[in-house]
Amino acid sequence: MRTRSLAKIAVVGIAGVLALSACSNSKTNNGGLAGNSSGGSSAPAGGGTYTIAFEGPLSGDNQQLGINEVNAAELAIKQANAKGDLGFTLKLLKADDVGDPSKAPAAAAQVLQDNTVMGVIGPSFSGATKAVGQTYGDAGLAMITPSASNGTLQTLGFKTFHRIIPNDNVEGTQGADWLARKGLKKVFVVDDQSDYGKGVADAVDKELKAKGVAVTRQGVDAKTTDYGAIAQSVKSSGAGALFYGGYDAQAALFAKALKAVNYTGITAGGNGVKSSVFTKGAGAAGNGWYFTCGCLDATIAANAKQFTTDYTAAYNTPPSTYSPEAFDATNALIQAIKDAKSKGSVTKATVLTAVNAIDYQGITTEVKFGSDGEPAGATTVSLYTQKNGQIVSVGLLKDQN
Amino acid sequence: MTDFLNYLILGLTRGSMYALIALGYTLVYGVLQLINFAHSEVFMSGAFGSYIVIHAVVGDGKSLPWWGVPFVFILGLGSGAITGAVIAWSLERVAYRPLRRRGAPKLAFLISAIGMSFFLSQLAGKMFNRFTNNQFPPYFQQNREILSIGGASLTVIQATLIVTAVVMMIFLDRLVSGTKLGRSIRGVAEDAPTAALMGINIDKTISRTFIIGGALGGAAGFLFGTAFAFSNIMGFLPGVKAFAAAVLGGIGNIRGAMIGGLLLGVVENLVPTAPWNGHAWIGIGWTDVVAFVVLVLVLVVRPSGILGERLGRAA
Repeated sequence: MRTRSLAKIAVVGIAGVLALSACSNSKTNNGGLAGNSSGGSSAPAGGGTYTIAFEGPLSGDNQQLGINEVNAAELAIKQANAKGDLGFTLKLLKADDVGDPSKAPAAAAQVLQDNTVMGVIGPSFSGATKAVGQTYGDAGLAMITPSASNGTLQTLGFKTFHRIIPNDNVEGTQGADWLARKGLKKVFVVDDQSDYGKGVADAVDKELKAKGVAVTRQGVDAKTTDYGAIAQSVKSSGAGALFYGGYDAQAALFAKALKAVNYTGITAGGNGVKSSVFTKGAGAAGNGWYFTCGCLDATIAANAKQFTTDYTAAYNTPPSTYSPEAFDATNALIQAIKDAKSKGSVTKATVLTAVNAIDYQGITTEVKFGSDGEPAGATTVSLYTQKNGQIVSVGLLKDQN
Repeated sequence: MTDFLNYLILGLTRGSMYALIALGYTLVYGVLQLINFAHSEVFMSGAFGSYIVIHAVVGDGKSLPWWGVPFVFILGLGSGAITGAVIAWSLERVAYRPLRRRGAPKLAFLISAIGMSFFLSQLAGKMFNRFTNNQFPPYFQQNREILSIGGASLTVIQATLIVTAVVMMIFLDRLVSGTKLGRSIRGVAEDAPTAALMGINIDKTISRTFIIGGALGGAAGFLFGTAFAFSNIMGFLPGVKAFAAAVLGGIGNIRGAMIGGLLLGVVENLVPTAPWNGHAWIGIGWTDVVAFVVLVLVLVVRPSGILGERLGRAA
C-alpha cells in the first residue's frame, strides 16, 4: 500500500514537473517521459514526439473513405519514422467523426485535447469541415484536408484551412463541360442535400445551363432506401444523362433502381460516389457509371508506384480513392514540422506558418497553398468508370469527348 | 398516363409495406392503448433475422434451382416473421409488462418504448454494421417485368410485395374477426377487466397480440429489405410513416391500417412527382412533407381517422 502511494506521488510529481517545464502535458500524451514534445533542451536524444491527427469517418456508412485516408496517413508517418532523419518521432491520433457534421465537434475536441498535435489531416468531409473549421482555426491548428471538396469552404474565413484537391466547382464545371460536349439536350441532376452533394450538383447544374443544356433538378433525402420514384422520374424525363451528387452507399441503391426501370442514358456521379462501397453495393447495375474526381488513380500513375506497392503490402489492399491525396497531405505536414524544427521551435503556430509557406512535391500534385488555403494550381480532374465491377481510369476529364 | 401508372405501382408497393407495419401499431394500440414506438425496430430486426438465415442457406444465392427461389423467399419471410415475433414478445416482457404490473402511467410506457427503440437500433448497428445499404443475396431476378399495364411495368418484386402484404392482411383480418384468439383480443381491447372476468387470460392475450404484430412487422422487414435495402436505422422512417398510416386509417382499426398504409404510399409517390413527365411540380425531396400534410388534412376533417377506432368491436 505504502509503496503504491509513493509511486503515485512520484508519478504525479514527475507529471507536474513536466507540465511546468513544457506546458504540454495532457491526458493523451502517452509518450510520457521520452515523448514530451516542446520541451526543447530537456528532451532526450529522440528529439520529442509530435502527433499528427487524422479526422474522418472511421465507422459508419462512409467509413471506407476514412479508412482509405487514415491508412495512407499512417503509412506516411511510419515511413517518416523509419527513415530516422527526422530528429523527432511522429505519432498518429485517429479521431472518428463518422463523416457527420454533428459528430465532428466531438472529434475535434478529442484532437485539441492533445497538446502534442501539430496538425490535422482532414476532416474528410465537407459538412464536417464546415462544422469544425472555426474550432481548428481558433486553436491555430493547421488542417489539410485530402478530400473535403465543397466549393465554399475556402470562403468561410477558417484561419488554418488547407486542401490539396480541386474543389467541387472545378470538378462540377469540368464534369458539366464533358456532359455538354456529348451533345445532350437535357440532363437530370440529383443531389443528396448534403454540403458536398449539393455543392457539386450545383456546379454541374450551373455550368450545364450556361452551356444551353436543359437541367431537371431534384433533391433526395440522404437516408432514403427507396429510389424507385426518383429513378422513374429520371427515366420519364427523357434526360440523356443523370448526374448524382452524393455518396457511394446511397448511389449504389440509386444505380440499382435506375437499372430496374431500364434507364439507358449516361449515369455519372462525383468523387463521393467513386469507391468500392459503390461497386459492391450496385453490382452489375453500377457498370457503365462514370465518376468525376479530382483524385489520382494510384494504381496507374507512374510516380505513385512505390506508394502503391508499400500501401498494398501494409494493408493487404490497393490504395483507393483519396489514399494518395492523404499520403501527400501527411507528408506535406511532416515536411512543415521539419521546416518549423529547422527554424527553431515546433509549435502549432510555427507549423501553421510552415504549412502556409510549403512547397512540397507529392505524388499527386505539387502541394502549395494560396492565401485562402486552396491548392495552387491543382485543377486536374479525372474521369473514371465502372467496368465489370471494377473502377477503372478513363483519363483526364478535359481530354474526353 | 404511363407515368401515372408507374408511380401508382411504386406507391402501392411502398404503401403495402406501410400497411403491414401499421398493423403492428394498430393491434397493440387497440389492445393496450399504447403506441409501441419500438415496433419500427421489430421491423428492422426482421430484416436482419432473415438475412442471417438466408445467408446461411444460400450463401451468395447465385446458383439456385427453380424451386429454390420460392423456397428461399418463404424461408426469408418465415425467419423474418419469427425474429419479429420473438423481439416483439421480449419487448412486451421486458419493457411493458413490468410497467403494467405496477400500474405505471401511460407516459412511462411511451418512454420505455422510445428507449427500447433506440436500444435495439444501436444494438443492431453494433452487432452487424452501420451501412445503410445491406442487401440480400440476389437469389432471384427481382426486376424482371411480369406484366405491362398501359405501358407501365409491374416487376416481380413489386407484385410479390403487394400480393404477400394483401394475403397477410386478409389472414390477420380473418384471425381477429373469426377465431377464438381474435375474440379474446377484441375482448381485452374492449374492456380488459370484464374480459378477465369472462375467463380470458389478459397477459397471454397481450403477449399473443405482440407476437402477431411482431410477426407481421418482421415479415415486412424482410420484404422491405428484399425490395430496397436494410440497415440498423431502416426502421425509423417507415415506422413513423406506418404509425401515421395507422392514425390516418383510424388507430386501433385493422382495416383502417391497411387503407391508411396504401393511401399514404400512393399519395407520397403521386403528389410530389406530379405531373409525371419528369418535371415534378413539387419534387421528390418533399415526399415526407407531402405525406404529413395529407395526414394533418385528413385528421382535421376526420379526427378519428378514415374508418375510426374499433378494434373492440367485430372488425
